[in-house]
Amino acid sequence: MKAAPSSSGAPVGRLLARHRGVLIAAIVFLVLLGTVDLISAGPLTYFDIAFLSSGGATSALAAIGQTIVILSGGFDLSAGAVISLVNVVLARSMDPMDMEASVVLWTAVGIGIGMLTGAFNGFFIAFLRLQPIVVTLSTMFIIQGVTLLVMDKPGGAVAPSLGTFYLGDAVTGWLPMPLVVIGVVLLAWLWLKNTRLGTAIYAVGSDADAAAAAGVRVAWVRFLVYVIAGGCYGLAGVFISAQTGSGDPLVGNPLLLAMFAAVVVGGTRLGGGRGGPLGSAIGAYILMIVVNILLVLNVSAYYSTIAEGAILILAVLAGSVSRQSVLARQLRMLGTRLSARQAGTLVSQLRQDDRRLALQRDARPRGAAERPSLFVRNAEILRYALPAYICFVIVVVVTQAWLGGAILNPGYWNSLIVLSCFLAILALGQGTVILTGGLDLSVPWTIGLCGIILAGMVKGSDAALLYALPAVLLLACVIGLVNGLGIVFLGLSPIVMTLATNGLLQGAALLYSNGTPDGFSSPMLRWFMTGKIGVFAPVVLFMALFVIAAVTLLGRTPFGRRVYGIGNGVRAAELSGIAVGRTLVLVYMLSALCSGLVGVLLTGFSGQASLGMGDDYLLPSIAVVVVGGALITGGRGHYLGMLGGVLLLTGLQTLLAGTTLPYATRAILFGLVVLGAVIALRDKKT
Amino acid sequence: MRFLKGLKSLAACTALAAGIMAAGNTAGAADKHKIFLSMSYIGNDWQAEAANMVKAMAAHKSMVDKVDLQVQVAGPNAQRQIQQINAMVQAGAEAIVIYPISPTALNSVIKNACDKGVKIFAYDGDISEPCAHNISIDQTEAGRVTAEWLAQKLNGKGDIVMITGVPGTSVDDLRTKAAKDVFAKYPDIKIVGEAVGMWSQAVARTELSKITATRSWDQINGLWTQVGCYTANAMQLESGKTPEQLLPCAGEGSNGGRIQMLPVGTEVEGAASPYAPLGAQRISYASPPYSGALALKLAVAALEGQDVPKRVTLPLPIVTNETVKLCNEGTWEEMKAGCNAFLPSLVSNPGWFGSIFSEQTPEIGLAAALVGQPEP
Repeated sequence: MKAAPSSSGAPVGRLLARHRGVLIAAIVFLVLLGTVDLISAGPLTYFDIAFLSSGGATSALAAIGQTIVILSGGFDLSAGAVISLVNVVLARSMDPMDMEASVVLWTAVGIGIGMLTGAFNGFFIAFLRLQPIVVTLSTMFIIQGVTLLVMDKPGGAVAPSLGTFYLGDAVTGWLPMPLVVIGVVLLAWLWLKNTRLGTAIYAVGSDADAAAAAGVRVAWVRFLVYVIAGGCYGLAGVFISAQTGSGDPLVGNPLLLAMFAAVVVGGTRLGGGRGGPLGSAIGAYILMIVVNILLVLNVSAYYSTIAEGAILILAVLAGSVSRQSVLARQLRMLGTRLSARQAGTLVSQLRQDDRRLALQRDARPRGAAERPSLFVRNAEILRYALPAYICFVIVVVVTQAWLGGAILNPGYWNSLIVLSCFLAILALGQGTVILTGGLDLSVPWTIGLCGIILAGMVKGSDAALLYALPAVLLLACVIGLVNGLGIVFLGLSPIVMTLATNGLLQGAALLYSNGTPDGFSSPMLRWFMTGKIGVFAPVVLFMALFVIAAVTLLGRTPFGRRVYGIGNGVRAAELSGIAVGRTLVLVYMLSALCSGLVGVLLTGFSGQASLGMGDDYLLPSIAVVVVGGALITGGRGHYLGMLGGVLLLTGLQTLLAGTTLPYATRAILFGLVVLGAVIALRDKKT
Repeated sequence: MRFLKGLKSLAACTALAAGIMAAGNTAGAADKHKIFLSMSYIGNDWQAEAANMVKAMAAHKSMVDKVDLQVQVAGPNAQRQIQQINAMVQAGAEAIVIYPISPTALNSVIKNACDKGVKIFAYDGDISEPCAHNISIDQTEAGRVTAEWLAQKLNGKGDIVMITGVPGTSVDDLRTKAAKDVFAKYPDIKIVGEAVGMWSQAVARTELSKITATRSWDQINGLWTQVGCYTANAMQLESGKTPEQLLPCAGEGSNGGRIQMLPVGTEVEGAASPYAPLGAQRISYASPPYSGALALKLAVAALEGQDVPKRVTLPLPIVTNETVKLCNEGTWEEMKAGCNAFLPSLVSNPGWFGSIFSEQTPEIGLAAALVGQPEP
């Protein structure tokens, strides 16, 4: 800020500075490629490059689409599902015997399907002003259902002409076709970027209000962004079809998390406004070449997720090494603090006198203005929390009408609350993180590791539970501390840091359990989850206390106010004297503690711990928070709303489980109901 | 305890490694076959157990001089497995043993590997590319046999609940369709609930809790599951049922389920309810986790010039109340004599998969599945 770049200074320098993210990603990629070349037996040949280029192309194409969405300030969880859908549609409708099947036609079909799903997303996000994360999550479920309707198991065939075209050489022996495809997409983006729409995308991502004030039609820009991104996913789907030559309804789903990692590694900032697709494409290749690195280094299976996590962190850290990086700033601040301590000028070393200005007390009689009614004071909370509860009531009534034995059946309510308790606890942790504008992706293996260690320590003994429980919860706090420190002091994006931690924890769980978790929960813990006091399990009473504690924590404590403060604006929070770093670390510790507690309770519920026991809780933990009215970018949301989201989702799943509808139909219904629930949440037109 | 055990095995490994290095000077690594294992997601019980058995097979004294095995994990992402197999071919693999993430998505990369003379062995899941060797059970038969058992137990009449696997996979589809075809032949058998169990005891419990939220156990007559019988029995006990009242359940080959099948009162070391003999009416089947180890053995045989069939259909490991028998130590010899359930004091995880015996793999027993140690 202080030193504006001198206009006569080298334009090269400015150019470098502007594209630092991309450049560093490219350097990291080249270093990794060089490493592979150096350690592996033979020199890298054209074939290696060709394989590598086709291996990373699907992720790269999808990451380009995701980047455009993120640049505009959005978020798209449906990307992986769209890839699967395009794959099965092509594998089902193409004639494998037709050697001359038109590449242009089927590519257009794939891109068209992608754009249609993008238009669906875009309509709800741009014109109904719903939150991207929850719209695309619903779309993800709906598309997964449709995909299974098109093809319920792997099979089908894609005409070979597609494979010949997309996997062949553009220039024999010199240039593989996948790189050309990615290049063409990037060139198209380059053209788009310099049109009015391109400028508008960056503008909307930086500040939607400012963009609107400058005359940008924000809604249309957002809509188009999702359509364009959908086209990219469609092309990725076409590419994976060409590459695999067949259909698999699950092929695209696991690409989702890697896609976000690729975007962040490529130097694009989550939240919008900065970065670009080129970096993301390189990021996708960085993540893919890690596979080769692990192979040449012969990293053993149990360590592979640890190594991946470490590489992810290092790659991002390498990208941020500069005088302006958070780490450098933290170190400088540490230095300043130390010298201040030596000079004796540190605030805590000054005399603790009351130095406040002596203001005259307000003499007007208090209470003259009547306090607004409870309803008015909590109108905003109600507006965002109520839709979830209303939908929940509808679901319960439908359950009663369809399956019977719900409203008047205490067993139903008991099951519902016991099943809800896991998500309700996670909602506090994930919800608090989201209130500060972050995201915790380390939930699955924090649950898994804590559950496995607890079962291993307890081995069925109630006495052991007395020391195992605090030990495990302490471990959870340490996990959260690591997350928090990485985010605050290394300046890593929460997504990268917690994703990496998740990998580290998975490796730790495998090493600890040797692949076979042993031990089981003690009788007391099992009774707590599955026993009965009257008609209810003890955990139901615990949940009542937990909800009160959670509401108090977020609504009535300084900690809660700081969380909301940070969510509404980090800079503003800093200036009002909130210790942002310390609060954030605490927030991630709270989230890990909640995950650890869920690990313990799940172990009690199932009787034992198993690897992967937390895998199914990540996306729901985010969904309930948003369905409950919280804003994914932080600052808005109430725990009671999130609780409503938990009840709605659990009630809906209970209803669907009681039916004999096929899974595909259930997934579609689930998506539609969630989407319906949040339509009521839409923001007022600004 | 575990830590100590770990230390001990570490010490043993170091000693072993030193020994190998000393021997290596004379033997030379050049005549070892370079074989890679490409696994899927390692974070679940079945995968970890299968990995242990493959490692044990490679460490057996009959193999250790012949095989240079490298294990790599691809995660759940088929793209990465494609990349991994390519890299393995480039790294000079003679054979690749694969747990295929997708039966179809790997076809072109595997065709390419075969063309370069690499032998491909897929275990558990199948690969449809014809040049690959497939080692697995007949999933359709698994679905059919177990459904017929349940229908007969119910005398062709009753309300049943189905817990299926991972939707969108061939294994789940074949099993579930075969079972439904059987049930369709009995007009009085009604499927009243169907939940996606993801082949996990933990998921089976949440799904069964949802089903029993609106339908009590008294309104169900039997269960057909892919994984979940152990949990279903535990839940019935929690709701106040006695062991005699447990519903007949066709389901997975977890050791917990096998122990529950033993008659009430059987003396079993380390048993604690619900991981205890209950006399539960069960048929227990599984995709056996030894298939990876067998695939490795066959790969070595193929590299040594033996003729190995493209399709090895493993015998369906079926255990019923009539055939369940407790093992004392779990050596291969003992299992050959017919035992098929393991003491909870040895296998403390009830979800652990018990179908580890194969006529063809005398190299591996219980210790292989638990800690990756081959038979002596």
